[in-house]
Amino acid sequence: MRKLSKLLLTITFALSITSSAFAVTVASWGGAYTESQKLGYGDPTAKKLGVDINWVDYSGGLSEIKAQKEAGAIVWDIIDVFAMDTITGCDEGLFVEFDFDKDFPAAPDGTPASKDFFTSMPSKCAVGNILYSWNYAYNSDNVKGTPKTIKDFFNTKKFPGKRAIYSSALTNLEIALAADGIKPGKGGAKIYKALETEKGVQRAMDKIKKLCTDPKGGCVFWSAGAQPPELLMSGEVVMATGWNGRFFNATVGEGAPIVQVWDGQGLDYEYFVLVKGGPDEANAKKALAEMTSTEGLAGSAKYIAYAPWRKSSIDVMKKGEPWYKDGKTNMVPHMPTAPSNTKNYFLVDPIFWADNGTELGEKWEAMKAGL
Amino acid sequence: MSSETQKILTTDGIPLEESLKKAEKKNKIKAFLLVCPLLLFLIITYVFPIGDMLFRSVDDRMVTNMLPKTYKAMEQWDGKELPEEEVFEAFYLDYKKLVEEKTFGKLATQLNYEKNGFKSILKKLKRKMKKFDEGNYKEQIMSVHKRWANVEYWRALKRRAPAYSYSKYLKGIDMYENEEGKIVQVPEDRRVHKILWLRTIEVAFFVTLFCFLMAYPIAHLLATLPMKYSNLLMICVLLPFWTSLLVRTASWMILLQQQGIVNDFFVWIGLVSDDNRPEMMYNKTGTYVAMTQILLPFMVLPLYSVMKTISPSLMRAGKSLGGTPFVAFWKIYFPLTIPGIGAGCLLVFILAIGYYITPALVGGASGTLISNQIAFHMKSTLDWSFASAMGLMLLAGVLAIYWVYNKLVGVDNIKLG
Repeated sequence: MRKLSKLLLTITFALSITSSAFAVTVASWGGAYTESQKLGYGDPTAKKLGVDINWVDYSGGLSEIKAQKEAGAIVWDIIDVFAMDTITGCDEGLFVEFDFDKDFPAAPDGTPASKDFFTSMPSKCAVGNILYSWNYAYNSDNVKGTPKTIKDFFNTKKFPGKRAIYSSALTNLEIALAADGIKPGKGGAKIYKALETEKGVQRAMDKIKKLCTDPKGGCVFWSAGAQPPELLMSGEVVMATGWNGRFFNATVGEGAPIVQVWDGQGLDYEYFVLVKGGPDEANAKKALAEMTSTEGLAGSAKYIAYAPWRKSSIDVMKKGEPWYKDGKTNMVPHMPTAPSNTKNYFLVDPIFWADNGTELGEKWEAMKAGL
Repeated sequence: MSSETQKILTTDGIPLEESLKKAEKKNKIKAFLLVCPLLLFLIITYVFPIGDMLFRSVDDRMVTNMLPKTYKAMEQWDGKELPEEEVFEAFYLDYKKLVEEKTFGKLATQLNYEKNGFKSILKKLKRKMKKFDEGNYKEQIMSVHKRWANVEYWRALKRRAPAYSYSKYLKGIDMYENEEGKIVQVPEDRRVHKILWLRTIEVAFFVTLFCFLMAYPIAHLLATLPMKYSNLLMICVLLPFWTSLLVRTASWMILLQQQGIVNDFFVWIGLVSDDNRPEMMYNKTGTYVAMTQILLPFMVLPLYSVMKTISPSLMRAGKSLGGTPFVAFWKIYFPLTIPGIGAGCLLVFILAIGYYITPALVGGASGTLISNQIAFHMKSTLDWSFASAMGLMLLAGVLAIYWVYNKLVGVDNIKLG
């Protein structure tokens, strides 16, 4: 009996070692998004490298990983983070700095990784994952006429009804200025230049305030990505800003009468970072390179309408159309990087927000409190 | 007579007193060992974290140690005009060392908390610094970015000089210490914390009040109904208590929204017209309704447990002595329930003051409370020292309320069951 229990103990111990030592843990946002990552590049990478990849959910921010580090028990290897967090985490020394072209494979045609990605990385610790877009959509059952521009989002005379906007200042100030007549310029440079000044910030705040206090308008603030399509479908609001993948999912995946408007939208990025001193840093690095390869990134776009970071992935998708999981939808035109969708847009500037986020956040809350 | 003879000895020759002491000591150790796990638990989960929080909120040694030369050079500076060349030079030398050690990022993060916009100019300085010539650092640094020529940034730098400071607490009430050492308010468009504190207290107060008004009759009914019905009623009270908080909040969202069930019903019975549906969510109404429902059991249960012990004959006696039902209630029944009211109100108020998810989901623009702000600094800005300071302020507020309650009613009068 004693021998048996000893044997059992040894086996469980050995199992726990193998499962922890040869598994890479990735923290991501959960839901349909993690599903797309797991199916698109997680499982193929695991198969190719012969390592297990565990996906855990988290709700963003760096507090968990900072706590893990302070406690001396880091359990995550790779994290899916916002641009701003790659800057903060890199400054805090939480993440590994990359030697970009050495750590990541070149495109199939030989273009080095740094040239294959759409833009440069916000920090040395970041590697691109997806591009998504903050645009607005409306419920075509509840809106008379067709809103076409970002100005229409603020036009309560022509399109009366409540609007849903994001609960913090991020992207709201930008679209307010874009709607107030500032041409975004290349990548939104003009908008951010205006927001550098007190006057520009005030102008943006006033625009939002006007929309929210308008008796024909009014605002609902959303904080979770699933809310905007839901608010539109329930008829609670007539227009909502949101993430294009969620709107796509509601329209194409569920057949809801939701129409997206591609004007004055904010293109934003999602990144991966490698945790310094993670439980299996060596394997994690290999897995990360595989996941962000041309084939890998193209794979996730099969399951969700977020664009791959690599230009060469788009070619893989084009060749494979129809690419969506239902087997009949062409994905490339739905991507936030498609030429027809990028006529008037701005790039969400992580450096600007890393710099001014707290102060603008305070002003934003003070403005909201006065509504 | 010597004292020797007076001592009573036990059979093995040890004085009785000593032997008793020994036995008692043994018992004491045993008792201590028995409570030891609990004591350890309290120290580890309560005393230690709060102590750590307190320390975190005032500890500012990191920045002080990162810029030793700068702060030494700044001692002479009065903070009115831009500092002299020697300050710039000292700062350059300090920062150069940090860049070599690759720890400049932490400094950038910390200084950005103090004054927004520091992060990018420090990074820009790092890039340009490599080409700096020796001497005249003031001009060279100022040419990197115009913000370096702004005295506000140097003042912000100086504010971080002390190794320990209470500035995070001042920030928590929208104040700061200016260059003359006076404590003043931050610009009006940035005063957000005071609004949030007041709103948090207001919401907690009204939720407690509504809970009390609703729970009192329910608890009375529970205590006086025959067992058969009261059990059923008790299940009705407890069932939502056992349901996930998030599920209940989401259900309220379905019920209260403008196209929701409650509004549909109002339109159906003709109370309101279809195109003029009242807004019951994404404002304070929604917060009050959802939070009151969620916290109601915390009021009902202590009230019930106290009311259960009040003998019905007391009310009858009061009435037979000539009191009207109201007088009998007010003079006899109500004072006896005060321990339950105290316990319930304290419980609900303390839970409500730290509430987070429900106001965030149903509260709309006027829904963010101070706990949301604490979470923001924990998760997004990683300014844990400021979050700690606000957390402690919240704790101090709760303790203050406890103290006031103790003065007014007496803590001995709390009864949870």
